[in-house]
Amino acid sequence: MSEASGDRTLLRCEGLVVGYRGQGILPPVSVEVRRGSFLTVVGRNGSGKSTLFKTLLGLLPPVSGRVSRPPGLRVAYIPQTSGIDPMLPVHARELVQWGRVRGWSFLAPFASRADRQARDAALAKAEAEHLAHLPYRELSEGQRQRVLLARVLAADADLVLLDEPTAAMDAVAERYTLEQLGRLARERGMGVVVVSHELTIPAQLSDSVLFLDREGGEVVVGGSREVFTHPAFRRRYGDVVSLPG
Amino acid sequence: MSPEITAPTWALFVEGWPIFRDPLLCALIAGSVLGFLSVYVVLKRMVFVSAAVTQASALGVALTFLAQILLDTHLEPVLGAAILSLVVTVLLMVDPGRLRLTRESVLGFAYAVAGGAAVLVGSRISQEAHDIQSILFGTAVMVHPMDLWLLGIVGGLTFVLQLWWFRGLTFAAFDPVGAHVQGLPTRVLDGVLLVSIGLMVGVSAHALGALPVFAFSTLPAVGALLLNLPLPWTFAVATIGGAVAGVGGYLMAFFREDSVGGSQTVLAGALVAVALMVRLLLHLVRGRSA
Repeated sequence: MSEASGDRTLLRCEGLVVGYRGQGILPPVSVEVRRGSFLTVVGRNGSGKSTLFKTLLGLLPPVSGRVSRPPGLRVAYIPQTSGIDPMLPVHARELVQWGRVRGWSFLAPFASRADRQARDAALAKAEAEHLAHLPYRELSEGQRQRVLLARVLAADADLVLLDEPTAAMDAVAERYTLEQLGRLARERGMGVVVVSHELTIPAQLSDSVLFLDREGGEVVVGGSREVFTHPAFRRRYGDVVSLPG
Repeated sequence: MSPEITAPTWALFVEGWPIFRDPLLCALIAGSVLGFLSVYVVLKRMVFVSAAVTQASALGVALTFLAQILLDTHLEPVLGAAILSLVVTVLLMVDPGRLRLTRESVLGFAYAVAGGAAVLVGSRISQEAHDIQSILFGTAVMVHPMDLWLLGIVGGLTFVLQLWWFRGLTFAAFDPVGAHVQGLPTRVLDGVLLVSIGLMVGVSAHALGALPVFAFSTLPAVGALLLNLPLPWTFAVATIGGAVAGVGGYLMAFFREDSVGGSQTVLAGALVAVALMVRLLLHLVRGRSA
């Protein structure tokens, strides 16, 4: 893992307003992601989660405010398992290998020995060695998630951004994935940002939760208990989350 | 006494090699490089890029002839084809999402406008209309030396760049968000891919005709994808399939005394049928051994 920053902050949003064509859709967001921490972004459909996520990924410019990351930070992204085209005949090993491609490193036409070793180690760590030579499209949801997890490990990322990682998963695969990410965040000092519809597991794993409500014009950030008991959250979700004791 | 008509033989082919060499080389270069690129064309759902760029290529040729008549210039038609192909390719690189349009809309626009303009310009240069027709329907029996040179240079550079940047190009093409987040220059890579496809289609269409070029830039990937191989092997098989369709189609046309473009297209289609049979066979064998 690279030491990209002297302090432990990996991602900082300061008065960040997100939206399209100069029009903000949410109040300003100020939040930090530090090493070893797990932030879940929640909200109902149309709440602005995707817009915020695209801004964090650098796909959309902020309307105002700023997103800052320490220079040289290694960022990785896990798409939805369904985000990889089912027509694509990519095998798990190749997909994990992509985790090692960064910046202009593709100018070296072949993966280095170190890259191949990192790929194999990542597959082993994610318990996905046996999937290496299988087409990604033929894997189950749980197996796909292991492979995508292996890609994050191969990337040796400081910060991981996940888009609805549990959207197409059964409960077991969902729990496995989020628990693994929580463990990685703690063990490797990795920052994790998850955008999720799902509330129960993030409530148990997250260090902080960011609740977005475009319709109500509300942004709430804090610990899971603080957010899930906030009146703005209750207005949208009612009493649907069982908080850990 | 009527002259004796002999059936084509290998001996005749060898005897006529100086005549056949250039079109065969063109077929080999266009077939293999377009075969390679066809994997991107099919997987990125850009099949009609080929059609739109071909129309632009025809317009480029028509404009070159018009310039020759009106301005007394001596531009090679293949250069006009390459320039217009490049212009349409650059147009396709603009993100249509900003205008709330899909890429298909832009493709349809480029195809229709380029095709319509080619017809209008063509009507003013009726004595050259045959050349434009040959681009649209393919008469690759003979090629001009300029076509071969240009195809050799564009094809060679494209192939080298595609192999050299393969890791970046595939990552950016098939997981653009992941590639962007990991700092890859996705716009540059996307541009390189589109320019590769646009230039190759434009230059090949002038040399071989639209029909076989459309076939080379789609069917080899369809066949390779049916075999369910890893991604690098899919590219390799598509490249070989394109080369076989190009060269084999030319030979087929020679021996059957048939249309070259038609033969190359039919052979490319036949290779897809072979791939389908191989897939079914493998499925049966695996089913029995399971």
